[in-house]
Amino acid sequence: MSRKIPVGLLYSTTGAYSLLGQECLDGALLALDEINRSADYDFQLVPQIENPGANINEYQRLTEKMTRVDGCRQIIGTLTSISRKEIIPILEKNDALLWYVAPYEGFECCENVIYTGACPNQHIVPLFEHIIPRFGKNAYLCGTNYVWGWEVNRIARELVQACGGQVTGENYLPFHSRDVERMIETVRETRPNFILNNLIDDSSYALFRAYYSAGKTDSFFHPENCPIVSCNLTECELSRIGHDAAQGHLSISPYFEKIATAENSLFLDELSRKEPKRHSVSAFFINGYATTYYLAKAIKSCGSDDIDAVKQSVLGRKFNTPLGQTEINEKTHHTALPSYIGQINSTGKFDIVSAAAEAKIADPYLVKFDTAAFAKQISGQLDPLSGSHLKVIK
Amino acid sequence: MKTFRTPNFLGQKALILHRGDENIRRLQRQLDRLGISSTVSWPDYDLKNTTADLVLFDGDNAYDDLFPWTKGLPPVPLIALISSEAPGRLEWMLSQSISAHLVKPVQSSGLFSTLVIAYANFERSKELEQQIGELESRISRRPVIFKALLLVMEHGEVDEEAAYGIIRTAAMNSRVSIEDFCQTVNRQVALSLIEKHLSGKGAAS
Repeated sequence: MSRKIPVGLLYSTTGAYSLLGQECLDGALLALDEINRSADYDFQLVPQIENPGANINEYQRLTEKMTRVDGCRQIIGTLTSISRKEIIPILEKNDALLWYVAPYEGFECCENVIYTGACPNQHIVPLFEHIIPRFGKNAYLCGTNYVWGWEVNRIARELVQACGGQVTGENYLPFHSRDVERMIETVRETRPNFILNNLIDDSSYALFRAYYSAGKTDSFFHPENCPIVSCNLTECELSRIGHDAAQGHLSISPYFEKIATAENSLFLDELSRKEPKRHSVSAFFINGYATTYYLAKAIKSCGSDDIDAVKQSVLGRKFNTPLGQTEINEKTHHTALPSYIGQINSTGKFDIVSAAAEAKIADPYLVKFDTAAFAKQISGQLDPLSGSHLKVIK
Repeated sequence: MKTFRTPNFLGQKALILHRGDENIRRLQRQLDRLGISSTVSWPDYDLKNTTADLVLFDGDNAYDDLFPWTKGLPPVPLIALISSEAPGRLEWMLSQSISAHLVKPVQSSGLFSTLVIAYANFERSKELEQQIGELESRISRRPVIFKALLLVMEHGEVDEEAAYGIIRTAAMNSRVSIEDFCQTVNRQVALSLIEKHLSGKGAAS
């Protein structure tokens, strides 16, 4: 009988952002199932699943339990930065490694974490590189009232102002608030070129619905005139928004279901055989899946789940995944990822409108990012007569 | 709304005055991630022959005369690496005008915010020092202004307010501070100022 290695899976599958937590968990479980059936691995990865139920006070307790009682040295989990930061002291104390798969706002490099999701130079920066030359440099910023929205919007403000644009308004909502009318009115009055959406969950869906309603009487609210753009919106949330209200808006992600690569086609074919009822695949799912493979391959190479051995085995290594080729950077523990701009179509998928398929190295502290150079590059692409508003060429 | 620009330390050089243990290796890795190169100097501190943009030192073991500059006037941000919180040690660190501190054991989090705060504090205290210097110099030159005022009042038979107005206009026209201008005012200058003032008035009326 093969060796059993416990792996903690710590995702809130009830409560706020449970949809995203479920996607990460499903992706990880699919990979675990494949790995455990495969003859390539002479060990079994035994999932130890815990659900903190989006209660921030539960994360530390459950991490203690996983590391001390269940014997997990490897944990895949947490979605928000608040919950990740909550468990880092426990990971350091109990010598465990966290695999963090979600996109986040950067400015962290913990040696007990492997970051496999996108950070700002892989999401907001390339998103604006695409959006500003096509729609203009004046942005309306909104978000849920916590660090993700605050920081991504701060970076956005820095980029917009460097390009000579204006932030026409910036508003935040508490978790679960659907009180988006003031946002709609601010947009109506200030006429930005695009909306940066850092709202999460219900609040985000409410914004799209209200925006769609406003568009019925005012064509300014049509996505071809003033799109809503996001850094973390994926396929798994589109049915909650409604395909009518979501259509035409844009998002950036290291993965969309419609990426036309051989690896992705192969993956989707196999997935449709295994899970015929699954109607969409998101970056959260795919990254939960890919990350679990990074872990399994590392354990296979070093023969242990000891965190130093696993780190040594995984850092600096390239992987072929459904996302394309990725590489976990030795210095930053962050993952080089591709980035795609997707436009939501009528069937609830993203059509790829721009692709940077070659993995971009993560720069979590924006050390190598120069705002002035960014602005110069963008201003070269802006229409010199109008200063903005080159239409998307379809 | 003014945007807080993303702090960037790329290319900065840090000098670490601390024995090279695992703590310091972790600190160096974290500095490297922020684009800062670092040198560890221990046990023989060699501050005079090192150029650094930033000095991190062992707050537990540092002593008087360690730093080659005037006590309390570091030329670069100074960060104390602290494990002992004994008040005597804290007093010593404060007397060195540290810009920030970092608690040992050094962790992967904490350095970035410490650096941002240290650089901001250092810049702020330099600005304040400069402002204080300027104000002190202006105060010390008060008697010069007083003397120039008296000369203009006496020769022009004008009141204090008018005399000050004449001097201020002349200083502005010569693009120098009032203090600097007043230093040039003697009886002759005062007379020519009055003359100019009166002819200007005559032309206007």
